[in-house]
Amino acid sequence: MNIIDIKGLNFKYDDKIIFENFNLQIKSGAFISIIGQNGSGKSTLIKILLGLLKCDSEIKIDDLVLNKENLKEIRKKIGIVFENPDNQFIAETVMDDIAFSLENLKMKPRDIRRKVKEIANYVGISHLLEREPHSLSGGEKQLVSLASALVHEPKILILDEALTMVDIRVRKQIYNILDDIHENKNMTIINITHDMDEILYGEEILLLDDGKIILKGPKEEVLLEEKTFNKLNLELPFMVSLSIKLMYYGLIDHLIFDMNEMVNEIWK
Amino acid sequence: MEIKFNNVSYTYNPNSPIKKKALSNIDLAIKEKQINGIIGRSGSGKTTLVELLNALLIPTSGNIKVDEFIIQKDKKIVNVNNLRVNIGLVFQFPEEQFFNLKVKDEIKFGMKYFDIKADEIDNRCIEALNMVGLDDSYLNRDTFKLSSGEMRKVAIASVLAFNPKVVILDEPTIGLDSSSKKNLINLIRLLKVKYDKTIIVITHDVDLLHQISDYIFVLDNGKLVLEGDKYQVFTSEELLNYGLIPPKIIEFEKLVLENKNIKIGYRDDINDLIKDIYRYAK
Repeated sequence: MNIIDIKGLNFKYDDKIIFENFNLQIKSGAFISIIGQNGSGKSTLIKILLGLLKCDSEIKIDDLVLNKENLKEIRKKIGIVFENPDNQFIAETVMDDIAFSLENLKMKPRDIRRKVKEIANYVGISHLLEREPHSLSGGEKQLVSLASALVHEPKILILDEALTMVDIRVRKQIYNILDDIHENKNMTIINITHDMDEILYGEEILLLDDGKIILKGPKEEVLLEEKTFNKLNLELPFMVSLSIKLMYYGLIDHLIFDMNEMVNEIWK
Repeated sequence: MEIKFNNVSYTYNPNSPIKKKALSNIDLAIKEKQINGIIGRSGSGKTTLVELLNALLIPTSGNIKVDEFIIQKDKKIVNVNNLRVNIGLVFQFPEEQFFNLKVKDEIKFGMKYFDIKADEIDNRCIEALNMVGLDDSYLNRDTFKLSSGEMRKVAIASVLAFNPKVVILDEPTIGLDSSSKKNLINLIRLLKVKYDKTIIVITHDVDLLHQISDYIFVLDNGKLVLEGDKYQVFTSEELLNYGLIPPKIIEFEKLVLENKNIKIGYRDDINDLIKDIYRYAK
């Protein structure tokens, strides 16, 4: 089943056409990375899905048509984490910040407290609940943003360059959480990123350029399209570049994303 | 221009229940006319360190020598602008701080604070734009309609316009696509090689520093824990303790040595690495 179904999307800013007859289907439970240069349409696409930009095309999210009447219901189905967490904080404590979306859902205060504590525990930030969000380190802030995005149990989690500012320790922590919600909660994860190494963590890749889908499919297939990546001035992840070159020299015969596996394969 | 930290500590909100020590006893000397990298995980004190350098913050203890200026608690700097004109600071997401509609006004804005003659200002705008690889046609462009890469360049041009000897870039490649990132890396190299600037790059991006830096300082938990050239730093066994992993190319070379006892050496370029692998694996 497609959780996102876009048919014939047309959209333009002023006179600049961003999307023309654009179609995209994303399956429920997918873990997809969206890549492309600045201006390729990635962020515009997300703003359209969130109903922040209006368009006349037919868009369905979890079987609901994206329109004014359904917007509130659709937003309950989506959690989003942006690049710069400072732009997302609105409350004085981490607890209140995470609770914000649940208050909007008119949930009882007791249930809100329980749910906030549960998600804080799950994300590993229970010790930060009484802190003021702006006093946290960059990595802690992004974990709080992730908890806020997940607390209302959305069906779709969107990460918009969300891992750019975090160090490797927090990044690993977030990858583990993403793996868990993907495998055990069947949540659809859409990761928009410029960091090409990040795309190895998803299952599928969507490459956009100038509002058009250039490549879409399992990462093992998409990443073999080296010429397309070069043409669009996109650098392949290190392990993919290395794999492709070693395949050319006949030292391996398939893409290898794991470094240990690669070393063992070369010197087997 | 000499920049030296002498036993510098900084605490936010001292004497209050929410005091937080950001830097402890830092001793370091920035390498003049080189690309200096400052790296560390979130909360390690990187940004505090550069804000001290520009006297936006004053050390809680210790002092910083910047040329003839001493930045120290209870010691007022007579004309702080004479210090700041030589330390150009480009903040994280600088484009979020734009508020002039035209590029030329955005570049002129910073110059107002320094003694720059009125008839020089227009020329400086053009020179600064050229330094970052943009031509005069950008002067009248709408700031907010530029691409992310162009915005980042205009932000750097605004700093270069007052001709600082030192340029500090805080997370300069964040949010840029790979093409804009490559472009910016070339620009940083050019600022060093052609314009003799001392560059300080603050980042958590090890691959960026591996590509551009001459010397690296690693901060962790407010302390300077490691320093040296990129090979010394990125091959250090301690790096992981500070939440940093080496650049992929060095990680690979280390792994081959550890698992297969084959020393293929440290390479900067993937094509050189491939040649070595081919030689050793054949």
